[in-house]
Amino acid sequence: MVHARRGGIGRYYDVNGWLFVAPVLGLIGLFMIYPIFWSLWMSFQSGRGMMMKFVGFGNIVRLWNDPVFIKALTNTMTYFVVQVPIMILLALILASILNNPRLVGRGLFRTAIFLPCVTSLVAYSVLFKGMFATDGVVNSTLAALGVIASPIPWLTHPFWAKVLVIIAITWRWTGYNMIFYLAALQNIDRSIYEVARIDGVPAWARFTHITVPLLKPVILFTTVISTIGTVQLFDEVYNLTEGRGGPSNATLTLSLYIYNLTFRFMPNFGYAATVSYVIVVLVALLAFFQFFAARERDK
Amino acid sequence: MDNLARALPRIAGLALASVSFLAVTAAQAKEITIWCWDPNFNVAIMKEAGARYTKTHPDVTFNVVDFAKTDVEQKLQTGLASGTADALPDIVLIEDYGAQKYLQSFPGAFAPLSGTVDYSGFAPYKVQVMTVDGQVYGMPFDSGVTGLYYRKDYLEQAGFKPEDMQNLTWDRFIEIGQQVEEKTGKKMMGLDPNDAGLVRIIMQSAGQWYFDTDGKANVTGNPALKAALETVGKIMSANIYKPAAGWSDWVGTFTSGDVAAVVTGVWITGTVKAQPDQAGKWGVVPIPALSIDGATHASNLGGSSWYVLESSAEKAEAIDFLNEIYGKDIDFYQTILQDRGAVGSLLAARGGAAYEAADPFFGGEKVWQNFSDWLAKVPSVNYGIFTNEADTAVTAQLPALTQGTPVDDVLKAIDAEVSAQIQ
Repeated sequence: MVHARRGGIGRYYDVNGWLFVAPVLGLIGLFMIYPIFWSLWMSFQSGRGMMMKFVGFGNIVRLWNDPVFIKALTNTMTYFVVQVPIMILLALILASILNNPRLVGRGLFRTAIFLPCVTSLVAYSVLFKGMFATDGVVNSTLAALGVIASPIPWLTHPFWAKVLVIIAITWRWTGYNMIFYLAALQNIDRSIYEVARIDGVPAWARFTHITVPLLKPVILFTTVISTIGTVQLFDEVYNLTEGRGGPSNATLTLSLYIYNLTFRFMPNFGYAATVSYVIVVLVALLAFFQFFAARERDK
Repeated sequence: MDNLARALPRIAGLALASVSFLAVTAAQAKEITIWCWDPNFNVAIMKEAGARYTKTHPDVTFNVVDFAKTDVEQKLQTGLASGTADALPDIVLIEDYGAQKYLQSFPGAFAPLSGTVDYSGFAPYKVQVMTVDGQVYGMPFDSGVTGLYYRKDYLEQAGFKPEDMQNLTWDRFIEIGQQVEEKTGKKMMGLDPNDAGLVRIIMQSAGQWYFDTDGKANVTGNPALKAALETVGKIMSANIYKPAAGWSDWVGTFTSGDVAAVVTGVWITGTVKAQPDQAGKWGVVPIPALSIDGATHASNLGGSSWYVLESSAEKAEAIDFLNEIYGKDIDFYQTILQDRGAVGSLLAARGGAAYEAADPFFGGEKVWQNFSDWLAKVPSVNYGIFTNEADTAVTAQLPALTQGTPVDDVLKAIDAEVSAQIQ
């Protein structure tokens, strides 16, 4: 009789099924759903430490008048606008090159380029800090090559610190994106390329007219993932700047600002929750626009 | 026979009583958990203090937990905010700049020690940072009294004698720095543009802070802050500094012998002395003074104190322990000074032998005596509850200062950021 009710609407009344998923649902509810709603409620409160009171939209008004928040938002968007396109393009080009079956030692190259994203975040940040120090290996190499006359202040100048963060995250995540493209490239029928080559289509045109359009779903996926990662950027900046987002707040990100608001400054959990929701809205909007843009071009 | 038979129950009873007595004592053994940072300094000192207390109170044991400073702060803040005290320690170390922040934003979380500890014996500025509404919380610990450490050998090469380093003004300090670079090629000091420590040192030496005694922002009308920013601006435009990124990089500027001087808190002594090959080459003098009203040669950087959690199950023992060792034990202060270079803030401890000893590393100078003299002269200020915020606002404006933005504009920008942050 129970068997007769399987399938269709009857499935929803199967107590055994619900019993099986109940523990998971309970945990998801406790550790995901409840915190989401609780933090939303917190974002309407403000105060020092434990002394919170309801302020309505007070925190949102405060956002507009907070120069540090504006700075963190601008920095985060700068990373996003500059770094994501560079990284995506670089990953695409690298994947195309490494997909060439005639390339000698491509397994080695693939591993070498993928390796950064499995290294420890802290370890590589510390390493970068050493390499890009005023008298570090990067500056001395550049000086030896005659590229620069005086050492670049990578960590102490607002502009160069931002450049350094971009270099660091590009180094770490390009290989990660490249793997997606490599996997997708394996699925493109080689005969398409052969036909194009017979027809005399040059290599660059094959890349822009065959590879890129066929990889579009994967490009969209990596762009969305990279957007989310960049908007939530925390570790690199925290470790490169000793948690300060300096110099002159030039590398401060929204996530680092949330950390400061909760743990370094006078604890204001309500305002920090509001800034967290800014990230939520930002990621949702950006992902929506990317899906929208991709769909438009499909027609 | 008869007697023994009659005595047996009594012996048995006595035996039983002593066993249960032992059991009771065992059950009463208390463990005090302490959170602090820096294994070579705070942690080691706390272990020493614990060992001393256990000698007279064998029923009390100590569990000193070593975290990074940011981790201590983060765990403490999370624990206090969650409202469950189970995860918190009995005693925690808090840096003085953050003391008021914790005391005021988590009321009732820390035990007042006013009735127990005789605070008149401590440096007044240390007591002030832990006072809220007339109640004093915490046990004053290490002082961040500042000094100017300098390389005698480099200054000698540049033509300066130790006497020339006494009673400096900041302008003179910069002049000397320029001559040192001319003659020796060494920069005068290391400077991390991401750290406002030097601004704080100079500002406090003239008796001012980012906030006034009522805790209101004191930025645009603050002559000491203005002079401090001007001084740092002059140091930067005279280019007598080696830029450093972060703490270890900054420490590297003087341990490597690249710079001729360090202006910082006394707790750096251990780090300076960690380079045995530089023995005899260093000297310590009071920091330069500003040329404004209230300017002194004494200031403070950092420093921290011990706090007892109100929720602690071993609250009474923890308070008694702090009072016995940190509040009264003069000999303890001699030990931690000799072993760790810790200048405590208990004024009576200054009379001890260790303070009067000459230090061969500093060419036989009585550096500890000097530091404790300067300690008594440090102007008291109100660190308020937003020092970290104000500090961030200052570092955000330091590059503008070096690019020639007028100091008044810089002060306005700092004020705008501080006002937006303190609510």
